[in-house]
Amino acid sequence: MSEHIVIDPITRLEGHGKIDILLDDQGNVDHAYFQVPELRGFEKFAEGRPAEDMPQITPRICGVCPTAHHMASTKALDDLYQVEPPVAARKVRELVNSTFYVEDHALHFYFLGGPDFVMGPTAPKAERNILGVLGKVGLETGKEVIGLRKELRDLMTMTAGKVIHPVFGLPGGISKPLTDEIQQKFIAGAEHAVKFGEFSLNLFNDIVLKNQEYVDTIISDTYTNRTYYMGLVDDRNHVNFYDGLLRVVDPDGKEFSKFPARDYIEHVGEHVEPWSYIKFPFLKSVGWNGFTEGTESGIYCVAPLARLNAAEGMATPKAQEAYELFYSTLGGKPVHHTLANHWARLIELLYAAERMMELAADPDIISPDIRTIPTAVPQEGIGVVEAPRGTLFHHYQTDERGVITKANLIVATQNNAARIAMSVDKAARGVIKDGKVDDGILNLVEVAFRAYDPCHGCATHALPGQMPLIVRVYDQEHNLLQEVRRGG
Amino acid sequence: MQPLVLGLGNDLIADDAVGVLAAREVKQRLGRRAHVVESSLSGLALLDLMVGYHQAVIIDAMYNGRHPPGSIVRLTPADLSKVVAPTPHFAGLPELFSLAKHLELDYPEETVIFAMEVEDPLTIGGSLSLTVRQALPALVNQVTGQIASWENEYERSLSP
Repeated sequence: MSEHIVIDPITRLEGHGKIDILLDDQGNVDHAYFQVPELRGFEKFAEGRPAEDMPQITPRICGVCPTAHHMASTKALDDLYQVEPPVAARKVRELVNSTFYVEDHALHFYFLGGPDFVMGPTAPKAERNILGVLGKVGLETGKEVIGLRKELRDLMTMTAGKVIHPVFGLPGGISKPLTDEIQQKFIAGAEHAVKFGEFSLNLFNDIVLKNQEYVDTIISDTYTNRTYYMGLVDDRNHVNFYDGLLRVVDPDGKEFSKFPARDYIEHVGEHVEPWSYIKFPFLKSVGWNGFTEGTESGIYCVAPLARLNAAEGMATPKAQEAYELFYSTLGGKPVHHTLANHWARLIELLYAAERMMELAADPDIISPDIRTIPTAVPQEGIGVVEAPRGTLFHHYQTDERGVITKANLIVATQNNAARIAMSVDKAARGVIKDGKVDDGILNLVEVAFRAYDPCHGCATHALPGQMPLIVRVYDQEHNLLQEVRRGG
Repeated sequence: MQPLVLGLGNDLIADDAVGVLAAREVKQRLGRRAHVVESSLSGLALLDLMVGYHQAVIIDAMYNGRHPPGSIVRLTPADLSKVVAPTPHFAGLPELFSLAKHLELDYPEETVIFAMEVEDPLTIGGSLSLTVRQALPALVNQVTGQIASWENEYERSLSP
C-alpha cells in the first residue's frame, strides 16, 4: 500500500518530469505523484554577487520567463535601494511586461496547450500536436501567431534589449527612454494584439464552448480542486500583472488576505515532503493540512485562473466583458475547474493587449525622466510580479555594499506545486479504473498539469528538445506494470 | 552562403553549457566560414533562428543515460523520434522542422545535430564535469569537420 512505498528523491536528478501512479489490488489508483526536475544551487550561486547583476542573471537561468524574472528582480532592487521609479519608467516596464504576456500566452494557447483543447483531450494520439491544431484552426492562423510573436518580440528588443537577455531595468528606473518612433510602433503592435486577442476568444468560443463534450470535461469533478487563490490586484481589486497588492481569496471566493510583497514571509510558508525536493508553499495562517482541498487546507493556486478568481474584475473593457462571460458560463465565482485556465489565459491575453494600448498611447510614456538615482544603503529587497505562469517572488539580502548574502526565489510553478500534485492525483483516480491504462488515458492525466503551463525551464533544451516525461504505473507490491516515455 | 552553427544550452548551468562552449570554439577556428549563434531557448522559440540558411549544424547537450557521459552522437532531424504527444512546455525538434515545412519557411535543406551525453545539466553555476570537458575538443572537431565536408562538396560541385 502507498504508505510502504518510498520514492527516492534522487529520481529528480534524471532530469525528467515524472508521474508515478500506484494502483491498489483492484487496479484503481491508490496515489499518483508528480515530480519535476529542479535546478540546484541558485542560492549559493547568487551569494557574493552584486545584487545589481541579478536582473541580468536571473533571466538567463530560466529561458522560459526571462522578462518576468527581469521585472521581479528589478523591483526587488527598487525595494533594496528604497527608491521609487519615475512614472515613465514604471509605465515602460509595465508596457514591456504586457507585451511579453501577449506573446507568451499566444504561444501556450495555440502550440502547447492547444493540442488538448483545440483538438480535444481525447483526440487520437497522432492528431494531438501542433500540426493537428494548424489543421483545425487553419495555416493562416498559425502564420498569424508566429508573425504577431515576431512583431512583439522585436518591440521588446527595441526597448529592453534581447528578449532572452533583457537589460533595461535598473534600480529606480530604466536605462533609456521610449522614443516617439518606438511609441508609434507599440501602438501599431497593440492594435494588432487586441484584434488577435478578440479573434482567439471567438475561436475558443466556436471550437471549445460550442462542444458540449469539451465543456463537460472542463467542469468535471476529475479536473476540479477547491483551493485558495492568489494574485496581484490594483487599488480597485482588478487583475494587475506588474504591481499592486497580493490578494488571496478562500475556496468560497471571499477575500482572505491582502498584503504587500514585503510581507510575503508572514503569509507564505514552505512545506517539505520526503518524496520531492520541491518545497510546497502554503498559507501560514491556514496551515499545512496535507494534500487536501477546502478552507482548512492552506494550499493555494496561482496563474491565470487564480488571478481571475483572486480579483474582482479586469481593468480594461473588452477583457472585463470576457471576464463576466467566463463566470456566468461556469457558474459564478470562484471557478475551481483547472482546465478553465486555458480560457482564463485568453482573457488575460486580451487584457494584456488592451493594457499595451493604454500604456503605449499614454503621453507620459515618452518622458525622458526615467531614473531616480538610489542613495540608500541596501539591506533587503523583495520584488513580486505576476509571471504568465503565476506569482513570482524575488528576495535578496545584502551587505552594505549591495553584495548578496542570501537569495530566495519562489517561482510560479513552485507556488502551484501542491495543487498540481493534487490535480494529477485526482485526474489519475478519475480516469484509471480496474487496471486499464493506455496512452489515451495517460494523456487525460497529463492534461491536468498542462493546464497550469508548468515551467520546467531547466534541463529542457537537452535533446530531443522537450522535457522528457515518464509515466510509470505500479501495482500494490510496487512492481512496475507499465512505463510510457514522451521524448527522452 | 555561410552555414549556421547553432550552439544550444545555458552557460550558467554546468554541463548544459557544452553546446554553447563548443560553438564559441568553432567560431574561433572557423571565423567567417560559418555563422555561429548561441541560444538558451528550445523548441518553438528556435523557429526563427534557422530561417534563411541552406545548411545548419546544431550542437546540444543530451541527457538520457543511453550513452556514457562524453559520448558524441551525430543525428539528422529524421533520426529524432517523431514526437506526436503534446509536451508540457516545449515542442521537440522534429515538430519544429515539420512546422517550418508546413508554414513554408525558408529552412535548411541539410541539418546535422551533434549531441553530447552529459553528466550534470542541473547545477546553476556548476562547471563542466571532467568527462565532458575532456570530450569538448572532439565535439568541436566533429562540427568543424562537418563544415569542411560541406565546403568540399560545394567546391566539387563547381569543378567541371
